[in-house]
Amino acid sequence: MLERDPEGRKQARVAPWLLLAPGMLWLFLFYFFPLWTLLRMSLSSRPSRFADPVFSWEWSNYSDAFSRYGAQFSRSFLYAALATVAALLIAYPLAYVIAFRGGAWKNVLLGLCVVPFFTNYLIRTLAWRTILGDQAPVVETLRSLGVLAPDGRLLRTPLAVVGGLTYNFLPFMILPIYVALEKIDPRLVDAARDLYSNTWRAFRKVVFPLSLPGVFAGSLLVFIPAAGDFVNSYYLGSAKTTMIGNVVQDQFLVQLDYPVAAALSFVFMAIVMAVVITYARLLGTEDLV
Amino acid sequence: MNGRTSRSRIGRREFLARMGLIAGGAAVAPGVLAACGGGGGGGDDDGRAVSISNWTAYIDPALNRKFTRMTGIKVTYTEDINDNNEYFAKIRPNLSKNRSIGRDGFVLTDWMASRLINEVRWVQPLVEARIPNKTNLRAALRSPGFDRERTYSLPWQSGVTGIAYNIEVTGREIRTVEDFLEVEGTKTVLTEMRDTIGLIMASLDIEPEKPTFAKAEPAFDFLERAVRDGKIDGFNGNEYVSDLGAGNLAAAFAWSGDVAQITRDNPAVRFAIPESGGMLWSDNFMIPKTSERPALASEWINFFYDPVNAARLTAEVQFISPVEGVPEELTKLGGEKAELVDNPLVVPTEEFLAQNHIFGPLVGKEEERFDRRFSEILGTG
Repeated sequence: MLERDPEGRKQARVAPWLLLAPGMLWLFLFYFFPLWTLLRMSLSSRPSRFADPVFSWEWSNYSDAFSRYGAQFSRSFLYAALATVAALLIAYPLAYVIAFRGGAWKNVLLGLCVVPFFTNYLIRTLAWRTILGDQAPVVETLRSLGVLAPDGRLLRTPLAVVGGLTYNFLPFMILPIYVALEKIDPRLVDAARDLYSNTWRAFRKVVFPLSLPGVFAGSLLVFIPAAGDFVNSYYLGSAKTTMIGNVVQDQFLVQLDYPVAAALSFVFMAIVMAVVITYARLLGTEDLV
Repeated sequence: MNGRTSRSRIGRREFLARMGLIAGGAAVAPGVLAACGGGGGGGDDDGRAVSISNWTAYIDPALNRKFTRMTGIKVTYTEDINDNNEYFAKIRPNLSKNRSIGRDGFVLTDWMASRLINEVRWVQPLVEARIPNKTNLRAALRSPGFDRERTYSLPWQSGVTGIAYNIEVTGREIRTVEDFLEVEGTKTVLTEMRDTIGLIMASLDIEPEKPTFAKAEPAFDFLERAVRDGKIDGFNGNEYVSDLGAGNLAAAFAWSGDVAQITRDNPAVRFAIPESGGMLWSDNFMIPKTSERPALASEWINFFYDPVNAARLTAEVQFISPVEGVPEELTKLGGEKAELVDNPLVVPTEEFLAQNHIFGPLVGKEEERFDRRFSEILGTG
């Protein structure tokens, strides 16, 4: 069916819907439907350990999730926040140099940042076990420099977990920041200098504000998966560094308590959403994009 | 295999990736998983094919080819078991609804076998008439608590959980759990609850053979204190293998077969059964209740109860064979394979076996209490 737009051009009324349909179908099948099932599961109860859960408005699953796993929730968000800040501190200068000083080597330098991540995520994390091992050169050097005590170690510490998270999600910070910096017109910096701005001030007043969309996107891309991660804590941490992902894994696979695991997942999603909204409000994303 | 991943020399990485998928899938879309069940159709002997699931690197693949040559039965052999709990979560959506899982046999550890046989009842009896070699089953394994007549299960391989240590790091021998806690260096225990708690229970003179939560509480408290005081640095599956060899771990609760393989390359790594005893376990072959080819699956396990084939399997995997006559067949194989006869971790003496305990059955709420308490100490409960 055709209708005319304000300029009198003919437009198909169904075309936009047809274009949207694959995406909507995908969202429905692989997001909304599982989300709905997860919600029902989180409000179910188990007649016995091996019986299928039954929907029963079991709100106590949520109170259990909050009361029993508060430490793991706080730890997850703390580690994710630290990893995000660390990734930002590493990624920003790197992206800046590539964008403004990379010249003909830009693509090669970007490639070098990304190439290690062609390796499987778990293999990379396991490699850190070797790098941070008690007899590894890194630890021995730090011991000889007095940074670590003679019996000090890195593996199975919070530092190892945060380091692993930072390393594993670093490209998600580098790439958006690079894209944002790359879009900045260098003449704006020249203009700032013409107006007697020194390099630092030009960066602070021109470059950094214009790169904030990249910082915002990168922070979210690092923070969200880092908070839900369980691999780094499992392989690089200890019983004192478990995160909420480890609890969900245990509830699903060992305790077979799917309702509590689903409730934990929902609570986690709610907290992440609240953090993202607050962050977006603080950064005022409507002015950024 | 008694561990979460003890058989998987290369499967650990894959394990976690799969686990995430299974965990999510099991919760959100059991129907989708159910639809993935696949084959297993057709009457018994129709098509002369069986489909088997087992742990990673737990067979000599040539033996399956030999079985096919001898019987005409084609084997679809899949190494898709990395963890007892994970596999249980994977088969649960289908078997709980009496639907096929596309397998005619799988291999799971004693305690999981007990759950499948006595609690959820998702397995069917083996076809005795097709297993004449069952008479070769070692006497010590003929009548476990969870399957007194071996109606539903036959052991695939067995092993012992004890203490592995790198003497270059510890600087001394380890003979008891107390020694283990006192040596310098990083020490870990297993994420497999029955192994870790079982060893500690034995060291506290509490019988692991008849576990109750009340009796096991001192063992849990002991473990919790050791973790809190930094005497135990972590929990792992068989990741300890590379760490022990590299000296990054001083000592670890470990599985015999894994250590048998490391000690060949690194004599500094040693394995001790604590004076209070180690934990003896078996992985057991079973037939899911929805398999339509129990007779063919029974023929398959019968093949591995021929001492000649069992010896070749032992030579490959280096765990303890449940089949009588394996040492003699290993000797006939000659060379390095014959030397395995002198390795007590592969061919244990009766005296060696007598030092060990078998963790007794846990059911219902009792098992749940054990799992929850252990998860609390792991930091996930």
